[in-house]
Amino acid sequence: MIGSGIKRGTAELAILSVLEESPLHGYEMARRIEQQTKGALRFTLAALYPMLYRMEQRGWIRGAWETSSNGRRRRCYRITSVGKKKLSPLRKEWGELFDALRLLTKVTHA
Amino acid sequence: MPDWRALVTERLGVLDLHRVQRHEIIEELACHLEDFYRCQRAQGFSESVATERALAEVADWQELAHKISVAQHEEENVNSRTKSFWLPGLVNLAASMVWLMILQLTIGHVRMQWVHNHVLIATYVAWLGAQPLCGALGAYMSRRAGGQRRSRLAAGLFPSIALLVVFFWIAVIALFVERNHFVLDHPLYFTMVVFPWVILPAAALLVGALPFLKTPKIQEA
Repeated sequence: MIGSGIKRGTAELAILSVLEESPLHGYEMARRIEQQTKGALRFTLAALYPMLYRMEQRGWIRGAWETSSNGRRRRCYRITSVGKKKLSPLRKEWGELFDALRLLTKVTHA
Repeated sequence: MPDWRALVTERLGVLDLHRVQRHEIIEELACHLEDFYRCQRAQGFSESVATERALAEVADWQELAHKISVAQHEEENVNSRTKSFWLPGLVNLAASMVWLMILQLTIGHVRMQWVHNHVLIATYVAWLGAQPLCGALGAYMSRRAGGQRRSRLAAGLFPSIALLVVFFWIAVIALFVERNHFVLDHPLYFTMVVFPWVILPAAALLVGALPFLKTPKIQEA
């Protein structure tokens, strides 16, 4: 079972990564993550929003209400400069972890 | 199509958040569920199945409400404490100490003859006389930062609290580490220092802080 710390870490990385590409509202963000990971990562509403609010409180992302062309109001999230600074060490840490796990599983399977 | 806002409001229950914040969260979650529902419908699911699948996005609404409240308050608590207690308290302490330093440099050093009631030291009286202003400054800054009454009181009395902590550690070190003869032989003298430097200033600080301990009318509305 994946620990909550690891799950939170991967979720933060996923959210910051998609927001680095473009500003998104919550539903679109969840869809984008699911599509880009080919369904491997899926955020339900219950998992996504507490995470977004926490990241917003930390100043990593900023949400603002915007009205789309069809007149619907949505809260759109953007990555902040603090979030961008956070993203590169997060990528490095997770890259190292995945490399280490890949090495480890190769050894144990040999 | 279901009324998603009503559904979310009903299921989310009480959120420990400001009214505007709560309204925005409900609006946002309702938008998400509506998008999800529309997507399911576009994929050919019936209304009831699409509604069911949308609602299945949240297994436990109470848990979600709790997580949202915690997430919203996580950083807020730290920032709020810093703004409403530590910053006003430290400004208060700095003002009090800088004023004492100025008096010592200009009028003269405060001597401990005061405790014998021999001489009323002008420096000490001038310092003590300014303490209500310092207390008012600390409590005012705390109230402006949205501090609760307890924070405002603590910020107002901060110099006395700080001096009490300092005297406590001096006493501990003098008694148990240094085994200081003066303190061991004259514990009463040492204890009496607390009166002019902690108790009296605390009373003076409190006088200044009192007007700012009342809850502002704007918050009562």
